[in-house]
Amino acid sequence: MTDFVRAARPNDLGDVTAITGRSTGSIAFIAGGTDLIIAHENLPWPDLIIDITGIAELDFVDVTETAVQIGAATTMSTLDRHKGIRKSLPLLAQASAQVGSAQIRNRATIGGNIASAVPAGDLLPVLKCLEVRIEILRHDGRTEVLEFDDVVVGSGETSLGNGDLITGIVLPLKHGANRISAFAKIGMREVLTIARLNMAIAANYDQAANRVSDIRVVAGAVGPLPLRLPAVEAVFQGRVIDQSLADDFLNALVSEIDNAIPGRYSQSYKRRAIIGLGLDLLRDLFDREFSPALPLMEPV
Amino acid sequence: MLAKDFPQFRPVLPGTRDAAIAITLNVNDQDQVLYVTASDKLSRVLRRSLDLTGLKEGCLEGECGACTVLINDEPVNSCLVLAFQVQGKRILTIEGMEASEGRLSRLQQAFLDKGAVQCGFCTPGMVLSAQGLLNRNPHPDEAEIRHALAGNLCRCTGFQSIVEAIKSVAVQ
Ligand SMILES: Cc1cc2nc3c(=O)[nH]c(=O)nc-3n(C[C@H](O)[C@H](O)[C@H](O)COP(=O)(O)OP(=O)(O)OC[C@H]3O[C@@H](n4cnc5c(N)ncnc54)[C@H](O)[C@@H]3O)c2cc1C
Ligand code: FES
Ligand code: FES
Repeated sequence: MTDFVRAARPNDLGDVTAITGRSTGSIAFIAGGTDLIIAHENLPWPDLIIDITGIAELDFVDVTETAVQIGAATTMSTLDRHKGIRKSLPLLAQASAQVGSAQIRNRATIGGNIASAVPAGDLLPVLKCLEVRIEILRHDGRTEVLEFDDVVVGSGETSLGNGDLITGIVLPLKHGANRISAFAKIGMREVLTIARLNMAIAANYDQAANRVSDIRVVAGAVGPLPLRLPAVEAVFQGRVIDQSLADDFLNALVSEIDNAIPGRYSQSYKRRAIIGLGLDLLRDLFDREFSPALPLMEPV
Repeated sequence: MLAKDFPQFRPVLPGTRDAAIAITLNVNDQDQVLYVTASDKLSRVLRRSLDLTGLKEGCLEGECGACTVLINDEPVNSCLVLAFQVQGKRILTIEGMEASEGRLSRLQQAFLDKGAVQCGFCTPGMVLSAQGLLNRNPHPDEAEIRHALAGNLCRCTGFQSIVEAIKSVAVQ
């Protein structure tokens, strides 16, 4: 134990384990600092702060035909601007673009978003929707690749131990070019807002048949963990994409959210908000307009 | 005033026993060696050690943008960066924006011409956010300007004059 806070700024992962392997005190990694610094406004700092923003191995995006790999210290700005991400994983680009402000996006990292495990974290439903795997470097130098659900385990809670580092995420692009996806969120104002509700959808879209398959719908900020919504997914089974499907989709959304967060908002605000969110997602996914499910719209 | 007019080093937290870390960085085109502690915030160090008091510490939570500086040309909230993280980086504060000694940059002049400065508390952060946008996108439209300024609050102007100022530089 030391009686003052130490800092380290390693340049590669070998240096990280050299430090974490022999360190006995508490360790905090810092990337963008946008969560960590605020969290320590009224809390003592740990014995050692390790800055990972100087490690080139953690700051990269690699998109190939078959897989996407992203380093943990990659910022939201980088993800938002990356052509390959925009093309292959538009929902990840969309979610990154909606995090905080320009200043926040220039610092905030994907690894920090996962490690903070804040229920409103905008990348969390996206990463769960995409079935990414998370690469970990344990404090003793072992490496592991875990499912999202095995890393983010509760509100603000991960399975990471002291000195365990997220090094990146990896996902095989197992779907073809007809994979479509979208992300949307609602908060109290248009920008710089912590999500009250966010949602990620991905599906295979057969344009000729106008049907989707292999759909995944994941909502965030509705509970401690991002929540897959099977009842909403089921609505799409064997249906063509039309207004009647849109109505059923919006209805299913409302009742799922009702169940997940009963009474957290006025019913009328919540329903309108969710319908707005659902319509945004449908427009994004299918590139056409749908109208709100009328019976659900109550007079203001 | 320019950074070179300031003494290079003053103890950041006189009287504390926190170990000092030496960092080298470039602030407003001047190479600097600074001694900081592990938990010192960049905003505090720039203000206290270098007397760069143009940037303000408002909310200290990333909401107001008054502490905005450019790190390697990109706007960030200096209240949410630890000073030791900027080792080797290039930092621009409002004090370094002048076109030349005593002459404002076009962007700064536009803020004055359009009446975009009232109390002035938000102004350094606004100007740097705008500069960050123009560095990447020399001809932003109004929507892009407003998007880029989403992290900067102004309690006085109602934003319109600020947007006009940036637009007037952007179209040239
Ligand atoms: C004004 C403001 C607005 C915001 N808006 C949004 C928003 O709209 N949406 C949203 O999702 N979030 C938002 N956030 C929260 C925050 O910006 C994000 O969660 C961000 O992704 C955190 O990343 P970071 O790199 O800044 O993390 P840091 O603050 O550096 O770290 C956060 C936590 O993760 C740990 N950590 C970081 N990287 C790693 C790693 N590689 N391995 C292991 N542990 C690690 C740290 O030790 C710390 O506990 C906002 C924050 C602020 C201040
Ligand atoms: S003081 Fe840094 S954003 Fe408000
Ligand atoms: S001029 Fe007063 S806060 Fe903007």
